[in-house]
Amino acid sequence: MPANPSQSNAGPGSNDSISRRSFLRTSAVFASGLAALAASLEPLRHLKDFPSTEQFLQKYYKELSPAEMAKVLKRIEDEVERQYGLRPQVKDLRPMDGVEFVYALNLTRCIGCRKCVHACVAENNQSREPEIQYIRVLRLPHGSMDMEKAEHNYNPESVPEKGFFYMPVQCQHCKNPPCVKVCPVHATWQETDGITVIDYDWCIGCRYCEAACPYWARRFNFTKPSIPKDRVNLNMAYLGDRPRRQGVMEKCHFCIQRTRAGRYPACLEVCPVGARKFGNILDPNSEVSYILRTKRVFIQLKEELGTSPRFFYYFDV
Amino acid sequence: MNDQAKTSAVLFSLSLMFLALSLAFARHLWEHPQPGPPVPLVDPALLAPTTIRTSYPQLIRLKADLSDFDCYGCHEKGKPPTLRFDTNQNIIVPKEHSDVVMGHGRHNRNNNCFNCHDEHNLLLLQVRDGREIKLEESPPLCGSCHGPTYRDWEAGAHGRTGGYWNRAAGELKRQICVDCHNPHSPKIPSRTPFPPPHPLRPTQEQARTPHASRLLSSSFPPPSSSPVLPEFSITRTTPRTSEQAHVTLSPF
Amino acid sequence: MTRAIRNYFVFLGRCGRLAFAGDWRYYTWMGVLSVICLLGLNAYLRQFAQGLIVTGMSDEVSWGVYIANFTFLVGVAAAAVMMVIPAYVYNNEELHDLVIFGELLAVAAILMCLAFVTVDLGRPDRFWHLIPGIGQLNFPASMLSWDVIVLNGYLLLNVHICGYLLYCRYRGRTPAKWFYIPFVFIAIIWAVSIHTVTAFLYVGLGGRSFWNSAIVGPRFLASAFTAGPALMILAIQVVRRVTATSPADEGSRLREGGSVAQNPTSRAATLDDLELLGSRLPEFASAPRELRHSLLAAAMVWEAKAGDVMLRQGDTDNRAFFVLKGRVVVKREEGGRYRITRSLGPGEQFGEISSLAGTPRTGTAVAEEPSLVLSLSADALRKLMKIPRLNKVIRSRMSERLLITDRALMTLRSIVQVSMLINVFLLANEVFKEFYSGNLHVASSKYLFLGLHGHHALVPWIWTAIAFNLTAMVLLVLPVSRSLRWLNVTCVLCIVGIWIEKGMGLVIPGFIPSPLGEMVEYRPSLNETLVCFGIWAFGLLCYTVFLRMSVPILQGRLSKANEGA
Repeated sequence: MPANPSQSNAGPGSNDSISRRSFLRTSAVFASGLAALAASLEPLRHLKDFPSTEQFLQKYYKELSPAEMAKVLKRIEDEVERQYGLRPQVKDLRPMDGVEFVYALNLTRCIGCRKCVHACVAENNQSREPEIQYIRVLRLPHGSMDMEKAEHNYNPESVPEKGFFYMPVQCQHCKNPPCVKVCPVHATWQETDGITVIDYDWCIGCRYCEAACPYWARRFNFTKPSIPKDRVNLNMAYLGDRPRRQGVMEKCHFCIQRTRAGRYPACLEVCPVGARKFGNILDPNSEVSYILRTKRVFIQLKEELGTSPRFFYYFDV
Repeated sequence: MNDQAKTSAVLFSLSLMFLALSLAFARHLWEHPQPGPPVPLVDPALLAPTTIRTSYPQLIRLKADLSDFDCYGCHEKGKPPTLRFDTNQNIIVPKEHSDVVMGHGRHNRNNNCFNCHDEHNLLLLQVRDGREIKLEESPPLCGSCHGPTYRDWEAGAHGRTGGYWNRAAGELKRQICVDCHNPHSPKIPSRTPFPPPHPLRPTQEQARTPHASRLLSSSFPPPSSSPVLPEFSITRTTPRTSEQAHVTLSPF
Repeated sequence: MTRAIRNYFVFLGRCGRLAFAGDWRYYTWMGVLSVICLLGLNAYLRQFAQGLIVTGMSDEVSWGVYIANFTFLVGVAAAAVMMVIPAYVYNNEELHDLVIFGELLAVAAILMCLAFVTVDLGRPDRFWHLIPGIGQLNFPASMLSWDVIVLNGYLLLNVHICGYLLYCRYRGRTPAKWFYIPFVFIAIIWAVSIHTVTAFLYVGLGGRSFWNSAIVGPRFLASAFTAGPALMILAIQVVRRVTATSPADEGSRLREGGSVAQNPTSRAATLDDLELLGSRLPEFASAPRELRHSLLAAAMVWEAKAGDVMLRQGDTDNRAFFVLKGRVVVKREEGGRYRITRSLGPGEQFGEISSLAGTPRTGTAVAEEPSLVLSLSADALRKLMKIPRLNKVIRSRMSERLLITDRALMTLRSIVQVSMLINVFLLANEVFKEFYSGNLHVASSKYLFLGLHGHHALVPWIWTAIAFNLTAMVLLVLPVSRSLRWLNVTCVLCIVGIWIEKGMGLVIPGFIPSPLGEMVEYRPSLNETLVCFGIWAFGLLCYTVFLRMSVPILQGRLSKANEGA
């Protein structure tokens, strides 16, 4: 700063050569500064999919009228066709009345084969590169539920290994979900049938829900997800397996495109040993009602946190 | 150097700095991360919801070759076969049935073929209370000893279900005992696991040893050329029904 | 109305022009900051195009240096307003002007916080989803929604208070107390709330036992009130340095020359002179005529040339002066350097404090240009002060000086001292609670302090931070930190120690191990680091511009009176 008022050197001075010099150097700095600013925008050349005005202004899921939703679904179908060459069918499936889903997992039966992990990936159009997997199978030693003793990367010749049991963990669709509480924009919420869903077009990618989840169930798209063209599942739901974009969260949604159509989720269908059980707890004749009625020991993970998960792990031998 | 000169010097070097920066930005001089090894894809055929084995009722449904099950093609009607035991009370399986490995129950508890098979009518099975049941409707036989499991199975809690949980929308597909359990050696065989996860930020150690997987597309031998049906594919490594209890690499 | 808007734009224009004017040191500083900003911008655009994969974050450690810096800077913003408490609540005069610097620091810090949070978003184009009414702000359930509201509100509060006070000073008007004092008190409470809300972001997560502890909130406040005032201590000394000239330029001129009264030409005051004063100072014109005329006997008028010295720092004469024409500058010598504390135009007074209180002169008054100055005896001034309106105007102008005394710095030092003691005490509490009982929820603490399962990337960082904090605490308690040099060292130790502890030492260990027991470590990438540097440079750029504009206003050198000069 000018230390002395008489020493100001900005603006036209009394001396012509000073003013010309000052003009030259000021313009040089400004011009080169602008050039540097313009050049710094170079990475935007690689910007892959910038949202259109329509996408930018798209309303929140719960505020979309049926006509607006139809337009949105069509837009998604167009996008997928453009990107993968095949036209999917994207539906907005609503929860059924009198249905509340519950998942029961028999830890005696699970052999840790990870078939559920990959069936989920195939069914739900998850990114292969970088790899996103909603389900993580933990290998725990007999006698302990301490997560610190869990091994995520076991890769033996054959499973199951002696002295261990296997516990697949995915979104627990808690009755008291911490992720729903912390989302600043209501992008994730629990529907009446118990599925905690995400509106991928509303999520701002702050990852607060990822910090809040005690089960490490939520995944973030750190870059544009990549799905091989021939592996796309064309049966899509808006809140389910339709392809996501860079910068949004995703997670297990109980294969909403299947379960709301009355079918079992993919992880259950492929499990070779039938360790997974899913159904409507409000129906007394469902398998899950039977299990919760007759089995004696249930584990809800981290029960003490008060999240009240819908996943009941049990042993029966 | 007086202040004016110093200011000029600073401003001109700043201009040069900005120009250098422009060039550096335009040429994208830094941040070229090396991509890691590509994540290998899993063959979708391996993800089919096949059962662990192909049972007799499934063979019937698939209209496959059932000549194995034509008992009276070799045996004589009305003449119950004789069983031979060795000195340790272990049953000696005749060489014509060498694909049967007896392993049902410990300490040779279930060491007698006619605990389940009907010696007077080899095409049927028998329960201890005298009931005779068809080979393709075997669950009540299993349940006659494995009561709690049978109860669970009836309710859908044991074994595999598939299809529709909402009976109003579609059919529930149930597997029966022998779709998964080999009746002679019921223990579920071990299998090779699918590969472990590929982390976004691998440690140096993880980066050095990429996961070798035995179940990926190119490295795995293709399934046999039997017809592949939508829900269940036959996996037969021999012309006979696979009754081996050791490690199989079949994609169940 | 339009006139008012036009005036305001002229004011903004002059301030804006000032931001680009300076000497070679200023250009070097701003140039370096601009270069770093551009590097940061380029890095951020790379992240915008390719996604957060260019950072070092992962699904296991999903928050990194961006949120770490955010957390630290919210504390700085909250604490910058801490100086408001002694200034307004306890009427500590010396801190009054520094309050503006503190609030400007708060504004710069909040801008940095908002920048850090924005660069951390996966979809910043969807920021409008956060706007209540238009978007779907999840208030009051989500603590992030509270943060959005309190941070923006705090920004507006401080911009209002600073802007209003500075603009009033510029206009030469006494600020209306009702228009800013309530906001000042709201700002004090709001400052505590912004940091508590940020603490609650972490505390509210039941699944992360490292954060889910009641001590996090108080710890945040204690560390904020250590680092914030420490930053202020350093910033204020920088302001003092750059607004001062070296004695070589000034001292010779000011020290030479004989006694004061000899230099300017003086004569007895006339009625015309009093008329002139009345025209410049309306409150004087409205004084009773008899009173005004009775002053003639004790009044003198000096015609000063540019550079004439009218009073000298330390002298004990007690006349008071009013500028009739021209401009007089008051400089104060501190630590061997002179700084302009005020710049006075027609109608404004100087020397009145020593006149009324009988204390030695606090500065040296020099005519900047040919000026006409009226001088009154102390008795005459006291008579004038009996008139309520005149009394009010003279008193309010008394505090319009830019004094950055060492006493102010010592007051800040006591704040830092107490806060650091509390901070270290709370750290001891945390360490005891984590390690004494031996229960299983201490994996994150073990990772941070001792390393866990072969992973120990953060261990050297946290122990460095603890060493810095303890050293700073000891230095603060000892009288050695009263010397400015040691105080500065202590402040740097505080700031760095708390940055590490609050940033890397709070955010990262909460994620390691993951809720499923996985140990995945975190390392910021080059791109991430460049973005952080860019935002810090941006913040410093903003703060420099703020100071560049506000110091001349506070000194009186940038005012409506010399518009067009």
